[in-house]
Amino acid sequence: MTAPGARQEDSRARLFRDGVAGSLALVPSVFVYGSVFGGLAVQAGLRPLEIWAMSVLVFAGASQFVAVPMIAAGAPPLAVIVTTYVVNMRHYLMAATLAPSFRAFPRPWLALVAHVINDESFAVAVARDRPPLAFVYLGSAAAISTAFVGGVVVGTELGGLVERPERYGLDFAFPAVFLSLVAVQLRRRADWLVAAAAAVLAVAISLWIPGNWHIVIAGVVVSGIAALVLDPEPDPA
Amino acid sequence: MWVTIAGMAVGTYLTRAPLLLALSRRPLPPRVRLWLRLIPLAVLPALAAPLILAPDGRLALSPGHPPLWGAIVVFLLAAARVNLLVAVAIGVAVVAGLRAL
Repeated sequence: MTAPGARQEDSRARLFRDGVAGSLALVPSVFVYGSVFGGLAVQAGLRPLEIWAMSVLVFAGASQFVAVPMIAAGAPPLAVIVTTYVVNMRHYLMAATLAPSFRAFPRPWLALVAHVINDESFAVAVARDRPPLAFVYLGSAAAISTAFVGGVVVGTELGGLVERPERYGLDFAFPAVFLSLVAVQLRRRADWLVAAAAAVLAVAISLWIPGNWHIVIAGVVVSGIAALVLDPEPDPA
Repeated sequence: MWVTIAGMAVGTYLTRAPLLLALSRRPLPPRVRLWLRLIPLAVLPALAAPLILAPDGRLALSPGHPPLWGAIVVFLLAAARVNLLVAVAIGVAVVAGLRAL
């Protein structure tokens, strides 16, 4: 007869493996996404060590894509930091959804688990179980973080090979990533209105105020007004 | 640069840790959830639009401005659920092609 403790270990390992396996379909995409980021960041003038440190310490791809052209354009550090924070505020939503699944974890572990909250693992864990299972989530986070950081390292090596990136339209890769990320998130008709209003307001502000503050101002103002005016949606969880 | 990276890291951690460590079973209020969902929908266009439409601090709305066409192509492809990286690659190719003409 197996001790209950050992059986629990087994099921943890199995769930962890399920999380890894459930993420494998996303691993190539995340790897390439990381390598594109690494390559473009090198082109924008960041040093490989800075890019690796950012990818490990910030570990939030979309916001890193956001930060790099701002840094390259000489935006003030505070503008970059505040913009990063706002872009990543969606983590609050994921953390709140994941929290009950991690009740049994010691707090120092939770402090580490928090750092690997990411869109892909959240999607994998929530798609498999409601509420999501902690060890499935951790398995997915292990797969996704390895793919992302691995991709970034490869990308920084390859990125330095391209001379005159504008010639290949690579400067356009940043806005292209942002646009495609928006396009897949537009669900309700009001979402389109929010996106369009933010775009128009941001262009108007950017023509008046230097330093890239238009991103945070337009983003927070338009989403804030919309959240006050629109009907809240039914609880998905 | 290191100040910027450290600030980004701390700011991002502050979006992840507090609610996970709070371990609350209470879901976020619906309006807060709606706001958090809408933020990226507003921030990402606020970021992309000026890069495309006013790259040098001046409006660039002429049909001879390649990023305009690249943006339309990327947006339509992504909205049609084409793989994001493929959509971005095609958009980049469109811009490079138009610049080469």
